[in-house]
Amino acid sequence: MVFLKVYFALNDNMNLMADIIINVLISFLFGSILLGFHRKVMARIQLRPGPPIIQHFLHSLKFFFKETTFPKTSSMPFYISIVCILCAIWIAAVIIAPVLKGSLLLIFAIYAVYKIVEHNAGSSSGSPYGKMSCIRAVFSAASELPLFAVIFIVYLQVGSMNISDIITYQSIHGPLILKLPLVAIVLFVLILSKSPYSPFGITKGKDIVSGYETEHFGLLRGYIMLSESISWYIFSWIFLTIFFGDLSILLYVVGMLAIAFLTGLINATTPILNPNHSVMSQISIALIGIVGSLLLMFVF
Amino acid sequence: MNEIIYLIYLLAFIIGSIVGLLFSYKQHGEPFIYNKIDVLVLIIAILAWIILINSDILSSILSPIITISIGLFFIAFVLGMRPGYGRYETIIGITISIAIYGVKYFLL
Repeated sequence: MVFLKVYFALNDNMNLMADIIINVLISFLFGSILLGFHRKVMARIQLRPGPPIIQHFLHSLKFFFKETTFPKTSSMPFYISIVCILCAIWIAAVIIAPVLKGSLLLIFAIYAVYKIVEHNAGSSSGSPYGKMSCIRAVFSAASELPLFAVIFIVYLQVGSMNISDIITYQSIHGPLILKLPLVAIVLFVLILSKSPYSPFGITKGKDIVSGYETEHFGLLRGYIMLSESISWYIFSWIFLTIFFGDLSILLYVVGMLAIAFLTGLINATTPILNPNHSVMSQISIALIGIVGSLLLMFVF
Repeated sequence: MNEIIYLIYLLAFIIGSIVGLLFSYKQHGEPFIYNKIDVLVLIIAILAWIILINSDILSSILSPIITISIGLFFIAFVLGMRPGYGRYETIIGITISIAIYGVKYFLL
């Protein structure tokens, strides 16, 4: 009997491990295709043929086989470990969101750590561009974290921060996007701020080359690109799951492609804002979203 | 289980894109040429889109997982070709397969 219990416990753990590995692979592969599609949309709007949509994926693979060099100015243990942390937090996000359908509060915590990682990746490289990006990461954290804080309004509506409870709520009461449209817009702006060439993407603005990524080469850059793909997939997944409920695979694919298309369209037609304008715009959007949603919930 | 199927579809799409890219660069080393339809690629695109959208036609012979994976592989083969190539073939493939789906849905 004891052996059977141990066997079933081991079996459950193995299933969970397999689930995690498969979901991490899916989020990396599909995330990189989405980023490639995003780049293609931008190129077509600018009347260029653009690269194939698997370009981001091929780029990521390429960096895994390139020579890794370390700048003399870098703070060595930190320079490497920060990339490991970046990778670890997004893998943790995969475990919390699509695998376990856990708490949004943990996703919020991961996003907060991500801002710290952005900050430290810039400062650890010793590059002036990285340091500038590091300062901008603190700036942008002040505006982006309130955007993610709108999950509190989702909590007020649903009564829980667990993604599984939010899905159950929507299966009974209908999609949340109809009840909380302003919150959806605010979260979309957060996704927009994380997209490549975003008007709000001040930490990776081309005026500072590639921001905190400028001095990361080879394998380290490969891991950064892997994390970017996973983070893009997770943001899209969270947006669709919070506001539309548990969708079929086809609808998730369509929804994620729509998000990539919309962000690509906006980014191709909008200049990158300067840091002050970016922060003020995002704070204004967050305030309008939060106050507007509270008014819609409690007054009207 | 669903996730494994999702992963298989993704891998089929990515491998198809890479094979298509390599194939088209081998076929077309010249500067980019507009308005030419490659008959072989057109046939592949039409068959692939028909297999994907109407996968239930072959369900008695093959599992939908296999037919959809094959469909996605060849769709990606055409879509993933050198930028600028395979666009017209894809549009024709989508149009024909949707027409067949429409006929099947409304008439049968």
